Amino acid sequence: MPSHPLRVAVVCSSNQNRSMEAHNILSKRGFEVRSFGTGSHVKLPGPAPDKPNVYDFKTTYEQMYNDLVRKDKELYTQNGILHMLDRNKRIKSRPERFQSCKDQFDLVITFVKYQLGIVNTSREQETFTPVHVINVDIQDNHEEATLGAFLICELCQCIQHTDDMENEMDELLQEFEDKSNRPFLHTVCFY
Amino acid sequence: FIIQVQELIINKDPSLLDNFLDEIIAFQTDKSMEVRKFVIGFIEEACKRDNELLLKLIANLNMLLKDESVNVVKKAILTLTQLYKVALQWFVRSKTMSDMQEACWDMVTQMKEEVLAMLEVDNDGVRTHAIKFTESLIITLSPRTSDSDTPKRQEGDISLDKISKDHAYIRYDTLCGEGKSALEQLLKFMVHPAISSINLTTALGSLATLARQRPMFMSEVVQAYETLHANLPPTLAKSQVSSVRKNLKLHLMAVLKHPCSLEFQGQISTLLLDLGMSQNEITRHTPAPREPRKRPRHEPYTEGKKLKIEPALIEDDEDKEEPAPPSISKPSSVPVVQSAIDLTAEFLRPLLSPENVANLVLISMVYLPDVMPASFQATYTPVESAGTDAQIKHLARMMATQMTAAGVGPDSKMTEHNGPPNSQISNMEMLIFISENLAKLKRGKPPRSRGCLSPSSPPHRSSESEAVQLSHIKANPVPCHLTILTVSFDLIFFRTPGTSGKRKVFRLADVIQPLTDTQLEKLTNMAVKQILERVRVKLLSRLVTQFEGMMKDDVLEFILEDIRTRSDLAFSLLYQEYNTYLSQQPTGLLDSYDHCLFTLLSGLQEKPEQRDGLFTKIVLEAPLITESALEVIRRYCEDESRVYLGMTTLKELIVKRPSRQFQYLHVLLDLSSHEKEKVRSNALSFIKRMYEKDQLRDYIEKFALNYMQLLVHPNPPSLLFGADKDTEVASPWTEDTVRQCLYLYLSLLPLNHRLVHELASVYTEAIADIKRSVLRVIEQPIRGMGMKSPQLLLLVENCPKGAETLVTRCLHILTDKVPPSPELVERVRDLYHKRVPDVRFLIPVINGLEKKEVTQALPKLIKLNPIVVKEVFNRLLGTQHSEGSSSMSPLTPGELLISLHNVDSTKCDMKSIIKATNLCFGEKNVYTSEVLAVVMQQLMEQSPLPILLMRTVIQSLSMYPRLGGFVMNILSRLIVKQVWKYPKVWEGFVKCCQRTKPQSYSVLLQLPPAQLTSVFERCPEMREPLLQHVHSFTPHQQAHIPASIMTVLEANSKQPEPEAMQPVVLERQVMGTKTTDGYVCH
Repeated sequence: MPSHPLRVAVVCSSNQNRSMEAHNILSKRGFEVRSFGTGSHVKLPGPAPDKPNVYDFKTTYEQMYNDLVRKDKELYTQNGILHMLDRNKRIKSRPERFQSCKDQFDLVITFVKYQLGIVNTSREQETFTPVHVINVDIQDNHEEATLGAFLICELCQCIQHTDDMENEMDELLQEFEDKSNRPFLHTVCFY
Repeated sequence: FIIQVQELIINKDPSLLDNFLDEIIAFQTDKSMEVRKFVIGFIEEACKRDNELLLKLIANLNMLLKDESVNVVKKAILTLTQLYKVALQWFVRSKTMSDMQEACWDMVTQMKEEVLAMLEVDNDGVRTHAIKFTESLIITLSPRTSDSDTPKRQEGDISLDKISKDHAYIRYDTLCGEGKSALEQLLKFMVHPAISSINLTTALGSLATLARQRPMFMSEVVQAYETLHANLPPTLAKSQVSSVRKNLKLHLMAVLKHPCSLEFQGQISTLLLDLGMSQNEITRHTPAPREPRKRPRHEPYTEGKKLKIEPALIEDDEDKEEPAPPSISKPSSVPVVQSAIDLTAEFLRPLLSPENVANLVLISMVYLPDVMPASFQATYTPVESAGTDAQIKHLARMMATQMTAAGVGPDSKMTEHNGPPNSQISNMEMLIFISENLAKLKRGKPPRSRGCLSPSSPPHRSSESEAVQLSHIKANPVPCHLTILTVSFDLIFFRTPGTSGKRKVFRLADVIQPLTDTQLEKLTNMAVKQILERVRVKLLSRLVTQFEGMMKDDVLEFILEDIRTRSDLAFSLLYQEYNTYLSQQPTGLLDSYDHCLFTLLSGLQEKPEQRDGLFTKIVLEAPLITESALEVIRRYCEDESRVYLGMTTLKELIVKRPSRQFQYLHVLLDLSSHEKEKVRSNALSFIKRMYEKDQLRDYIEKFALNYMQLLVHPNPPSLLFGADKDTEVASPWTEDTVRQCLYLYLSLLPLNHRLVHELASVYTEAIADIKRSVLRVIEQPIRGMGMKSPQLLLLVENCPKGAETLVTRCLHILTDKVPPSPELVERVRDLYHKRVPDVRFLIPVINGLEKKEVTQALPKLIKLNPIVVKEVFNRLLGTQHSEGSSSMSPLTPGELLISLHNVDSTKCDMKSIIKATNLCFGEKNVYTSEVLAVVMQQLMEQSPLPILLMRTVIQSLSMYPRLGGFVMNILSRLIVKQVWKYPKVWEGFVKCCQRTKPQSYSVLLQLPPAQLTSVFERCPEMREPLLQHVHSFTPHQQAHIPASIMTVLEANSKQPEPEAMQPVVLERQVMGTKTTDGYVCH
């Protein structure tokens, strides 16, 4: 068992819903967790599907919250966005972009298949320290995000308890796959 | 804190390094793994800072590389990855080397070998690190070229091109060779059949890095990718396969982006297409072709290297490690690198004519494994571009890859023959050649190929995909007969029969010579028929079982033609078949016996009714009842005309074959919910009898409960509709389907009262429709249980939440015909008082309650819906039971009516009370004039007077006019009681007098003057007749009338005041409205 808590990165597209939900739960369970988005911008649902609210990664959750309250408090309360932002700002101040992060992790978890590729190619290798990247497809809505967060939390707890994470990962993932009935794509990258 | 120390020593003050080095290094044997890992990190940092330290620390690192903790080993590998470069750079720079340095380099080299060997260790993570080390090693030990795509951070890293060829100790060509052998090891590692998914992913990534940083290796990399794609390890799980494929795609795209991928674009795009990428996407990622002059110009040694590696890959002809003369400069039209695979593929391509391919497919079929491996099934996609030139090319390459991997290839042979192959080798020769090679491939791994369920070895898998591809190519332009063969191939392939490959070939042979077969068959058939005519029973049955085919059917048909006289033969045959089965144990198949029994039984079943019981006899005497035979028995039972016989047989089976009795019982139980009434009722009565047997009891009970449990589903499960009727799942419950679930249960219920609780729990969960149906069907069984049943009493006592209506219904059923028992009443009372204060519970047992309780409940009862109230009164008045058990009622009719009058008007509205009394008046048989008289008498004696008193009086009077005298008596006595003090009653009093005039005159005259005035105010028209009435009295009588009264009588007539009349009229109108409200009279 690693003596330090697992360093986990959870990655979704806008660092709002899925990754933050997981961030929230994982940090409560004592993991050293960071969350990221991979998109070029932070996108939040707007009044219509083709009119999202777009922010850059420098905007704080607080600012987004105030912006949306100003735009249409009713709508964003009702669809849960404000609630989500409120939760987020209590976790950290602003969304982070995975591509700009220089820290190392033990485990990176993504929620969309194509992010595997982004994570894979986001950094040049230097030290050759491996980082395991696991993808679990989770839809981008509140319910799925919660379910996904618990699933991931369970997975992390299991991994934390392995004697030799790299050696047991394959088997563990197979188990989880059977249990949760979702495919877990697993790959490895190097720092 | 130790991290701070490191920071301090290395970065802040290098001079400290020397002083503290030993102290830090001493920690390398520390117990904590983390500390040891730190020491490694320290070594790395220290050596990077001061290369001299390498000499000393490398030995420490070597020790740590053999540490027992895998995590430490991993860290050591990582550090060695870095330090290898550092060391090399340092030594290269220092031109001349001391002994120490030489020893150090030797050690580094030795450690490098050790790490390479770690590719074979058991631990997945260590292998991953070893792969990355290998990658870095290959990069370092090969020259960087102009088209190398080197990451910025590694710009300064050492590589082979920076090493001068005349270095004293470090030999350029040795390193070059080491680099190549590392690459070989990596490639070898990748084709390991049991490689883990993560190692594979890592290796794929490493290859991509290699291809981009050292484009000279691109050919090997692309080949390795091709090989891998065709030979995905069979040990991978489904999601792992998709992970690997995804990675492969990713890395291929990365490679494709590199300008040097130009020569391999065709192969890479084919692979990407296979991996599910669209042509558009591929084109988007393809770099624009460069000008020919810009074509990569490899350094001379590169060319030499290529030439050297090729033969190495083909066969084991190890050349000297010497660069070839740099004379070859290839024209741009020819691919710079033509590997063994390319050669073989080129060679194969023209030979892949449809005929050859077809033959190849047929031959390779022999070597297919018995069972399709999972990995093949998962990755197999129909070939879209079948038959196109590109596809044939691809196929040729795939085959070539296989052949080269197996170490065979035409090129080696060709070189021996020393001539161009195409013209000399005929098609047929080629074919044999290929098939031989294929055969070689298969035989390479004999133990896995047969009877073993584990995934077959990679060569098998690939041969399958080849075969499939081959068949696809063929599909388009082939002549007719070949297509047929393909089809037969496809059939055999996809059905994967349980026989071995060789058997299949035999069958094909059979098809080729059909004539002899049919002849043979004909002959034997004729012989059998001859024997049949003589009916040699024993001989025949023996004989027939020996042969396959038609004869058996003939014999069976013969038996069935006249089964009564030929039953001997039937039994003989049956036993013979069973005997054959037994003699072939343990591998024998029951098929033949099963067929025989099935044919006999279904023959009998389909024939018209026979009374000889032969069906039963065969069933009971058959040594074994097979599944299909049981099915026939079931059908027999479903036949309405034979239900009884069939079920008797089934019962016998259940009783006499205990080993499989549950299987038979199950059939019977299934029939208990049959749609045909007769079948069902028979089955139920049989089951009831079985239920008495202890060993069957549980099973039956469980079945019944399971069936009933189906009711909790929102829709009826398809199970209820039988396998043949595959109705839509979402059909709603119907009365019929609900009943179906309950038949068995309800017939068991009277036998085992304990089951009733299960019903209650199902009931609470079921939807409303089902609840209604359940309430309808339980009447019979509940009545059968009777109110003495302790279980039923227990149910009432516990009354689960949600089952209140069920319990009420049970109570009603129980008390419908007979009065409630004290036990039942007790339970209900408890329930009502302690748990569910719903007055409706009391209704069924109302006659068992105390008088007081009924009176208390009355206000609530009469507020219920009129039908229910009616029911309550029926019970109370005994008007419902024909036996007339009214004596059981806690209240006499009179008491009931009186209690109604005494209902507290704050607890119940007047309207309900009036309605309730009306119900009483409706029962003329019960409420006779005598009863009513008693009621009135008693009411009148109450104080205060009940509000409805006068209403009841008027009502009674209109029902029984002969009560007039009695009523007058009542009225007089009311005067004594100063009735005018009760406004409502007084109102009624006046009204009553008005209705009963002239009888009431004498009563009116008894009123005091003030009250009489009040009467006249209400009904002024009364005054005149009353006055006349008085005038008609004898003078003596008149004298008895007090003067004050007379004044009242006469007063108004003298001064009729129109103004005074007005309010009176108004008041009458008001009273009129009140009349409709409270004083409805018939």
